[in-house]
Amino acid sequence: MPIIRTRDLRKVFRSVKRVPGALGALRTLFSRAYEEKVAVDGVTMSLEAGELVGYIGPNGAGKSTTIKMLTGILVPTSGEIEVAGIVPHEARQANARNIGVVFGQRSQLYWDLPLVESFELLRAIYGIPHAQYRRNLDAFVELLQMDEFLRTPVRQLSLGQRMRGDFAAAMLHDPKIIYLDEPTIGLDVVAKEAIREFIARINAERGTTIILTTHDLADVERLCRRIVLIDHGHIVFDGDVERLKNEYGQHRTLVLAFDGAVEHPHLDGAELEASDGVTARFRFNRMQQRADLLIRQASERYSLMDVTLEEPDLESIIRRIYVEGYAQPEEASR
Amino acid sequence: MEVATEVGSLVLRVYLLRSLWTALYTQNLAPLNLPLHSMITYATVALLMSLILEVDGTRLIREKLREGTIATDLMKPISVPFYFFSDGIGQTGLHAVLVIPSLLFSLLLVRIDVPRPEVIGAFLLSFALGYCVNFFLNFLMNSIAFWTLETFAIQLIVRWVSDLLSGQVIPLTLFPGLLGRLVFALPFAAIYSTPLLIYVGVIAPAQWAGAFAMQIVWLTLFAGLSTLVWRAGSRRVVIQGG
Repeated sequence: MPIIRTRDLRKVFRSVKRVPGALGALRTLFSRAYEEKVAVDGVTMSLEAGELVGYIGPNGAGKSTTIKMLTGILVPTSGEIEVAGIVPHEARQANARNIGVVFGQRSQLYWDLPLVESFELLRAIYGIPHAQYRRNLDAFVELLQMDEFLRTPVRQLSLGQRMRGDFAAAMLHDPKIIYLDEPTIGLDVVAKEAIREFIARINAERGTTIILTTHDLADVERLCRRIVLIDHGHIVFDGDVERLKNEYGQHRTLVLAFDGAVEHPHLDGAELEASDGVTARFRFNRMQQRADLLIRQASERYSLMDVTLEEPDLESIIRRIYVEGYAQPEEASR
Repeated sequence: MEVATEVGSLVLRVYLLRSLWTALYTQNLAPLNLPLHSMITYATVALLMSLILEVDGTRLIREKLREGTIATDLMKPISVPFYFFSDGIGQTGLHAVLVIPSLLFSLLLVRIDVPRPEVIGAFLLSFALGYCVNFFLNFLMNSIAFWTLETFAIQLIVRWVSDLLSGQVIPLTLFPGLLGRLVFALPFAAIYSTPLLIYVGVIAPAQWAGAFAMQIVWLTLFAGLSTLVWRAGSRRVVIQGG
């Protein structure tokens, strides 16, 4: 029984068509022409309880719109949606008790109050029993190392501190599901790693279902087994991160460092990508060419100081999909 | 410091009001049924009421819609209109505390009539009803932000109209003839005029029930309208950016 289920989910935004120019602004007032923009177009997906899924796509692909429908604050144009047995937009408040939300670009903490006062307010809002509140607060303060700024007004916190506060705020009421919208945006490497560690622990120890929206694919590689890729409102891939890499990342790069200058390096079965006389980069398809044979060929032909084999990372794969669009990978993958 | 300036400006306004009405009365512009001391009482109490009524808790609606932060509130298990109401009550409570020193100072400056306890009780009840009518009027005004995001002009117009027609500045008994009957039939009268006229005794105890009933009618109407507007508005929430 999936905890999140959508079927043919669609959201169309309708807005008045604007006429450009100063007079145009006036004409817009009386215009009856509307523009329709399909933000989400037939999204069908289902998540099992305890899954940690990366929901990714380029800007404007429909990610945030989907999340807003899942939280119940946007009403779908058509399609079905169910979160923990509730239709979110029909029972927004009941749904709110099951979910926690963290926006990297927006805080739910009360700006003028000390951090801990925001937590107290949330305790009252969700009606969290004192023992549970105490237990969670203590755990989060320790995990996220918040004791030094617990009494600081939120407006004085650094971004990293504020994000930690936001994570705790979203989880005090033990939500079954957590939506994370770019939670690591703008953070330094250490703070990023701390947040990732926290997400992984919450998922593993509490079994919380997590949907992670991000542009930082290192987040996805570190945290998610499953990835849902959305573009132009359609889901273009839904499955294992490994499968995506296998299907899409068929090329490898062999980097050779020569002992001495080599002009016009060449290898049969690989394509020269770049060369500067002492190093060379060859690109090849691993389905058509075995790497070990290529390396043997290189060592027979040249005197080598170093050999490295580069796998494509998720980022370069996703970048190709954004630019070229998602097409079923060629035959070779079968 | 803030309290000091607040009290200072209030004392000045009370003094000006007293001077103004005294001057008008010596020019024989007096409304027939209101002696000068009642008029000064009326104006002073109106001023003190305005300190509380001008607190607009629903201003948050507009701000949150503009900034898109209403999304975070909608993701919580709370009734958002009730949240705005509570926020308004909190701010009002703070302002009520600020009113106390102002009240004491203005008592030094002008002599206000203090009616019998049951009249004060009726006044407070009527004031509470007026407060709620005012809340929903503000709520409706700020909810326009769901559709236009810019509500300043409309609010300014409604503010002018309501200042004049609510009895805040001049008692509605001053309006002559047909106009006089019309202004009493408008919802604005429920905000200032009804409690004030109860206070100064123009609305006699025998007419209290009718006055409360009228306020409750407006309150129910505005509350109902607010519910409809909120429902329609939140269905079309398209959070700006993000």
